[in-house]
Amino acid sequence: MAREISFEFNGNPMKMRVEDHWTLLHLIREELGYTGTKEGCGSGECGACTVLVDNRAVNSCLYLAVEIDGKDVLTIEGLASSDGTLHPIQQSFVDNGGIQCGFCSPGMILSAKALLDESPNATEEEIRDAIAGNLCRCTGYVQIIDSIKSVSGHESKEPRVVAWKTEETNGGD
Amino acid sequence: MKNFTYLLPRTLDEAISMHASHGEGAKYVAGGTDVLVKINEGKLSPDYLISLRHIIGQDRPFLNQETGELYIGAFVTHRAIEKSPLVQANYPILHDAIKNIGSVQIRNVATIGGNLVNAVPSADGAIPLITLDASVNIYGAKGQRSMELLRFFLGPGQCDLERGEILTEIVIPPQLPHTGSAYVKHGRREAMELPMLGVGVLLSLEEDLRTCAKARICLGVAAPTPIRAMGAEQRLVGKIIDENTLAEAGTIAGEESRVRDSIRGVAWYRREMVAVLVKRMGFKALERAERRAR
Amino acid sequence: MSSLCSVGKRVPKIDAVDKATGRAQYIQDLKVAGMLYGKILYSKYPHARIANINTSRAKALPGVRCVLTGDDIPDIKMGVYKDNRPLKKGKVCSYRDEVAAVAATDPETARQALNLIEVTYESLPAIFDPEEAMKEGAPLVHEEHKTNVLRMPWKLHYGDVEAARKEAAFSVADRFSTTWVTHCCMGTSGAIAEFDPANNLTIHSNTQIPSLAQKDFQDALLTMGLKERRVRVIKPVIGGGFGSKLDTYAYEYIAILLAFHTRRPVKVEFTRSEEFIATSTRQPTITYISQGCDQNGKLLYRDISMILDNGAYTSWGATTPSVMMMPITSLYRVPNVRYEAKCVYTNNTYAQAMRGYGNPQATFAIECAMDMLAEKTGIDPIEFRRINANQPGDVSPQGLRITTCGLEECVEAVKDKLEWQKPRRHAEGVGLASLIHVGGGARVYKSDGCGTIIKMDDFGKIDLFTGATDMGQGSDTVIAQIVAEELGLRIEDIHVIHSDTDICPWDVGAHASRTTFVAGNAALGAAKKIKSRILELGAKELETPLEKLILKDRSIVHRDDPEKRIEIARLLRKAHFSHGGQMMMAEYFYDPANENLGKDFRGNMSVTYTFGTHGVRVKVDEETGKIEILKYVAAHDVGKAINPMLLEGQVYGGVMMGLGYALTEQVILEKGENMNPNFRDYKILTAKDVVPIEAPVLETYDKAGPFGAKGIGEPGCVPSAPAVANAIYDAIGVRIKDLPITPERVLAAIREKQGLDPCGQELGKEGAGECIIEE
Repeated sequence: MAREISFEFNGNPMKMRVEDHWTLLHLIREELGYTGTKEGCGSGECGACTVLVDNRAVNSCLYLAVEIDGKDVLTIEGLASSDGTLHPIQQSFVDNGGIQCGFCSPGMILSAKALLDESPNATEEEIRDAIAGNLCRCTGYVQIIDSIKSVSGHESKEPRVVAWKTEETNGGD
Repeated sequence: MKNFTYLLPRTLDEAISMHASHGEGAKYVAGGTDVLVKINEGKLSPDYLISLRHIIGQDRPFLNQETGELYIGAFVTHRAIEKSPLVQANYPILHDAIKNIGSVQIRNVATIGGNLVNAVPSADGAIPLITLDASVNIYGAKGQRSMELLRFFLGPGQCDLERGEILTEIVIPPQLPHTGSAYVKHGRREAMELPMLGVGVLLSLEEDLRTCAKARICLGVAAPTPIRAMGAEQRLVGKIIDENTLAEAGTIAGEESRVRDSIRGVAWYRREMVAVLVKRMGFKALERAERRAR
Repeated sequence: MSSLCSVGKRVPKIDAVDKATGRAQYIQDLKVAGMLYGKILYSKYPHARIANINTSRAKALPGVRCVLTGDDIPDIKMGVYKDNRPLKKGKVCSYRDEVAAVAATDPETARQALNLIEVTYESLPAIFDPEEAMKEGAPLVHEEHKTNVLRMPWKLHYGDVEAARKEAAFSVADRFSTTWVTHCCMGTSGAIAEFDPANNLTIHSNTQIPSLAQKDFQDALLTMGLKERRVRVIKPVIGGGFGSKLDTYAYEYIAILLAFHTRRPVKVEFTRSEEFIATSTRQPTITYISQGCDQNGKLLYRDISMILDNGAYTSWGATTPSVMMMPITSLYRVPNVRYEAKCVYTNNTYAQAMRGYGNPQATFAIECAMDMLAEKTGIDPIEFRRINANQPGDVSPQGLRITTCGLEECVEAVKDKLEWQKPRRHAEGVGLASLIHVGGGARVYKSDGCGTIIKMDDFGKIDLFTGATDMGQGSDTVIAQIVAEELGLRIEDIHVIHSDTDICPWDVGAHASRTTFVAGNAALGAAKKIKSRILELGAKELETPLEKLILKDRSIVHRDDPEKRIEIARLLRKAHFSHGGQMMMAEYFYDPANENLGKDFRGNMSVTYTFGTHGVRVKVDEETGKIEILKYVAAHDVGKAINPMLLEGQVYGGVMMGLGYALTEQVILEKGENMNPNFRDYKILTAKDVVPIEAPVLETYDKAGPFGAKGIGEPGCVPSAPAVANAIYDAIGVRIKDLPITPERVLAAIREKQGLDPCGQELGKEGAGECIIEE
């Protein structure tokens, strides 16, 4: 069955017919064509499909599209400003190595946004709790946590990598 | 995903009559995080999903000041329970458990009622509530009824609901003075875990703050349904709570459990952990009871 | 070196903004007009004859365009020993066997069609234990081979191990095992194949080997009767590799075959459970090791024999011994080495390349045995490593020529940062393990080369075409940094293209941690050619001798008189808009001066080697068996950190993957069936599992590498498991020799040490051991 719903999508008012059985993920990717939100598992176990509904992080693969009626939806495409300036969280992920293959990044960044909107000075522990449902295989999470800490005002003061050099050798020949 | 029709009743009566009129093809859904997974996996294929999300009610736990009972509506999300200052301050065992269920994304949407009705053995939601002597209110075509949450679970995935009935509310009775409680989920990693074992302990102390007036020990994944280790509880009542009594209680609780092998854990290890974790949660409950008294 | 502008800087990845804004297009996001969706039907048995397949009902479903079985396709042979086919014919040998494939107008129809395919199986006796599979009378997985033991050449003996064993003052011997784990790339596998009317193939695929894949697909087309056709491989943005895309796979050939039969583009895309079940794992191992040293702790011999569960078909897992030889013969100085590995068919899943490619498995056994040996000699584990550390200038028994080597310094760094000497608290311990890995390419094939083409335009901007593959690790960025440094440009001036075999030159693949080294050198070589031409033009224009000019700040500048300068862009425009104009382009193919292994497996496989040491401080919960990592130090000798931020990313990611390997990850196969094909029960670590990691970096400036760099992609996950196992032994005196080191194993080992069964019953007494329910 289909019904008409109204919602806000990345700040834009929308009205459209949706099928009852569509997930929000399907609506976003297939119907609206916004492919930034990813399907990583389809069962709410990886967080790659995370979007914000009324500022709350949800797994869009387990969220029925009809349920966004009257609500605000934010996907990764809606985060930067209209002139292209990245949101501080996006910029921080870029600057601090929080992105490698990038598949988890949209979901990760949105989980971070939901957290920092609620607790702008979130601690490391709060950050880890907030992204516990966003799996990443590339980064080992360290630089992701650092990226978020950089925005929440808890970044470390010392440089992480301590490179210590030998004499400029000729390679042992 | 297979087609279904989504219905949005505004009242419990509306929901019940919709369920009745669509017979076998109807299924209730709250947050959807269990039901939609089952539909994806082909374990469920309803023609009608009747959403309980829009039924008017409280959206967070609240305390009945007169009776001292804590009411949690079935459609309250885990996140609302997790964030409730009332729960954090006065029912720490519930907070212990809820904050580690799934992820923020899941907790924002999944309801406590849906969790209980799903009736999985790894019942992080149920254990702390049973430990707190919770009862549940159920509403159906025949009206309202109430039962102890402990009796609500009949088997893996099975609970005591007639067709069409809806679990509407969880009621936690007032706690005795000098009560402390704690829950631990035993798993392999720190998040996104279905537990190998869940242990909840509640201790209410006498005025001397050492002797046990009441004990509750509830175990998850130690049997096909949540169980209370009543033998272990009885061993504690009237005794001074210390290393020895808690260790004894742990051992008895282990013997009372009916653990089994699964891909999530082996039986012998689960049984050993019952003893260890009952003891540890006993100490934590004791410490919390003492802290409250000060 | 100290005045570097780009190299050595923490430059953000050049694709990071696209990925942060949702613009990056992964295979999941790609659609080709008129595309059909392909789905695969897998076997329902671990070992069975296919008596009959009835596809008529599936074919009749509206929306289905094609159904293929093994009988419908030509004899395309896959895998390193060609014993595999995209769709199986006659029999199935594992649960992940592809039995049929469907192309339909939408994924849901394709899925429904699979359910309508009726396959009649005749079950055959199956075998799941490689040691059992080696015995007489075991069910044969491939009857035509008459045995389950593969004919593999993995056997070497350098020096005289038996003599050394007699001479050794101390010896240890034990058995270690590792099990299946899997890559868990967050982006699942997928491909889109399409033919043009002349039957030239274009395939979009998540591959780490675009050039080799091109060849494989060309061979497949030949088998399909299509001679001299073009194959174009296009890579979308890749959602993780870790070695999972180092071969060509059944699903790719299936996409090609479906596209060929339907004359439409066909997309095959894996679900997550399919990703777990139908992609290959890391190679499991059973290792028998003995190792001995003299009175003073100097290693005399290392003797290893391995049994590898080859699964149902042969893929790269069977070649991991060729890499395992590297740590076996060359991790520490050991003069006498013997190694033999047997690969055995079973009806389990099969393994292929995964980060480290055998090195983690071998290093687990070697480094645990090193600690055991150290204990016997009474020498502290740190000192024991130092006594045996490789040194610059060494040539190992396998013929590996060690050039730069900071192993000793890495050991020191671990000792220092882990506070090794600090008195242990109860149930706390420290442990370390080192690694050697190829750091300067690896001559696995006859070529280890990578090509680069640089085109510079009139605006001084660069388009760089590389054969290398960036799968998220940042090789594009590192290449851009190298070229920016050489040509005095900024990172944003460099556009790196790596995605298309029609445009990009040849590369053997993103394996063996070779990309920074080989692709970096290739880019540097091309950049040097461009530089010399720019300098020539500049010398003429500025009327200055060439030697006095440098490239800096997008300009050619007189070294001693900075006022004498011209912007590169302006110079190029002047040169272009005049008689005899030329293009500013250069190409360079870099193939490192390393060697293929000979028949005796000797050869300097890499131009240089990366070394590292990991140290861990753990706390063991003796009641639950759970391990807490208090601190992790991962020190690596990387030659030069071209981009310290990306290098850290490789180390942190590698360490967390290594810890998962050590503690929580396993593909649970029960009689060949995958019991945990999901993230719920396959335990990769989460953000809440992150441990305090320190990653000191040693720069030894290897002259063979671009700006001195060596590879780092794999080393981060190689020694984690033995470091943790050694730390646990230090903490509580129990040694776990089977991965993963689960709480159950630790608790059982603790109790065994106390003379008890796992449930605390005294061993030898009645009822002991009964608490464990036998399967």
